[in-house]
This record gives sequence, structure tokens and C-alpha cells, in this order.
Amino acid sequence: MAWGNRDGFGVISRVIHWGMALGILFMLALGTRLEFLQPGLSNLWLYGLHKTVGISLLGLVVLRLIWHRISPPPAPIGGVPLWQERLAIWAHRALYGLLLAVPLSGWVYSSATGLDVMFADRWVMPALAPVSEAWEKAGFAVHGWLTKLLAALVLLHVAGALKRAFAGDGTLRRMIRGQ
Amino acid sequence: MRQVLSLILIFWAGLAAAAPASYTIEAAKSKVGFETDFGPDKITGAMPVTQADLVLDFASVAKCTVKVTLDISNATASFPFASQALKGPKVLDAKTYPTITFASTSVKAKGDGAEVTGALTIRGVTKPAVLQAQIYRQDGFQEGDYSHLSILLTGSVQRSDFGATGWADMVGDQVRLRILARIARVE
Repeated sequence: MAWGNRDGFGVISRVIHWGMALGILFMLALGTRLEFLQPGLSNLWLYGLHKTVGISLLGLVVLRLIWHRISPPPAPIGGVPLWQERLAIWAHRALYGLLLAVPLSGWVYSSATGLDVMFADRWVMPALAPVSEAWEKAGFAVHGWLTKLLAALVLLHVAGALKRAFAGDGTLRRMIRGQ
Repeated sequence: MRQVLSLILIFWAGLAAAAPASYTIEAAKSKVGFETDFGPDKITGAMPVTQADLVLDFASVAKCTVKVTLDISNATASFPFASQALKGPKVLDAKTYPTITFASTSVKAKGDGAEVTGALTIRGVTKPAVLQAQIYRQDGFQEGDYSHLSILLTGSVQRSDFGATGWADMVGDQVRLRILARIARVE
């Protein structure tokens, strides 16, 4: 059940996929809100939440990459032009790259401000960058741009999945039901 | 601070003429409080006083002098991130500049208190600053007993004058000070 097979996704892959999907959509909304927010005592916790969820998502993507080694995902179903298959492969690679780079760049930026990066308001995470204005500015800019790229890829990913669902192949179904 | 309210204000004029007297701080009973704006809220905090030397001349206010040293490394602010930001390199940079000092250059009577002008050094930058002073009798001491007094100094500084510019987009530039020094005469 937990294990995937040649044709489908196991429950572990599916739970991580949809859990991350929810987390990413939530973070895109929260991050955008924070960018335009005037910080105060009443909303300070939202910044902490953004860091905690971001580090959780980073943990999940690492877990997922490890899980792919143990239980490889099924091959694409096929039946589409070669360029679409290639686009799908590269879009997935870019998604994984960004799912690592976006939280890491946020972590670098937070470390560079000189304030502790806390997980769940309780554990101090190690600093990934020196306390420096240059690192802070660069980290924030990179975090912002990579996030916009991630949002665009998420749209492409959803569009691709829907296109194939409407075409009637099992690409979306096997991520929902397994087979 | 509530204790201050219970203290009875001693008017400068009411202080009997006496020879200039040296005072030293009762550090454990003294506090430097500060406050600044944070969005719609305030950040408050305190820094311990390391050392304070005062000479009070009740007959001639102009002859009074004040010299104070504050300990930045042990400063605290109202929530953990604010404490860390306060002491970090972008604000007070406690590692490089562990103290803030104030040395009076002139004292003059004003109203029922005094106006103390002096040199304030923050982050190694020295700028003139003006504080308003009021002297009170300490709790538990008789009227006319000047062996123990409380001085309340209030004023404000613009932190950008001293290069303490971190988080300028979130945290106010004006820092309001409320220094309560409990002092004891050096016999």
C-alpha cells in the first residue's frame, strides 16, 4: 500500500505530494501578505509561522527525494508529443530544485538579519549566512524571484495535470487514487 | 515604576543648602527604561546601569554633575526578537560597543527640576543630549534625609543620529528614555 509500483503512486508519495501542495499554496499566500504587512506585536507570530512552515516544507521535499530512491515513482503514462513529455520532466526537475532553493534562500535571508530562525517558536535553527546587509539583501531578492518562478511552475504543473485529466489519461487519477 | 509614584517629590528649592555631595548609584534598584514605536505598538525595554557618579549641589544647581555608564550586553526588550535586534550589529552592536555613556556638560534649574545637557555616546558616536531631571525622596527615608535619593531622568534620542539604523522600516527612530536612578551619598 505504502509502496508505489511501476504504474502508480503509493500512499506515502501521495500524502507528501498533497500535503506539500497545500503547504505551498498556503505559503505563497502568506508570504505575499507578509511582504505588504506593517509588522506589529499582533502579527509577529505570522513571521514565525512562515519560517516554521517553510522549514517543514524543506524537510518534506528532502524526505520525498529520499523516498524516490527507496520507491521510485512510476514512469510517465505517455501518449503525448515528445516535447510535452520533455517539458514535464524538466518542469518536475525545476520544481524540486525550487522546493529546495526557495526555503533555503528564505533561511539565508533570515539568518543574515541577525535574528534567530526559530522552528515552531521553540527550536533555534542554525544560521546559514553571516549577519550582513549584503547577504540579507541578496537573500531576500533571491527568495522573492525564486518564489515567483515557483508560482509560475506550480501553475504550469496544475495546467499540465488538468490538461491530461481532461484528455482522459490516468496521470492525475494515479496521484489521487494511486493507480 | 509604581514605586516612583509613591515617592514624594522634593523641590529643588526645598532642599536645604548644603555642601556639594557625591553620590553613587544603587545599581540593583536603578533602571534605564526605553520605549520606541513598533507599527501600531510599542517596544519597551531596560538596560542595567553599570556605574554612575553624581555630584549634587543643592545650593547651586549649575555645579551638579552626572556621569553614567550603561551595560548594553545585558539589555532586554519586550520580546526575544527585539532583545536580539537591540543588541545586534544593526542597532547597538553590543559586541563592539558594550556600553552607552552619558556625561553632563551643564545643569540648570528648570521648573521644579533641572535640565541636564551632556554628551551621550552610543555605538562610539558622541552627540549632545538633553535630559529632564527630577529628584525624589526614596521610600523609607525621612524628609530632609538626603543620604538616599531617587533621580528620574527623561528625554529622547533619534537612534539614527548614532548609526543605530537597523529595522528602520519597522521600528521608530525616536527612542524615549526614562531613567530611574536610586543613589546613595558617598560618606
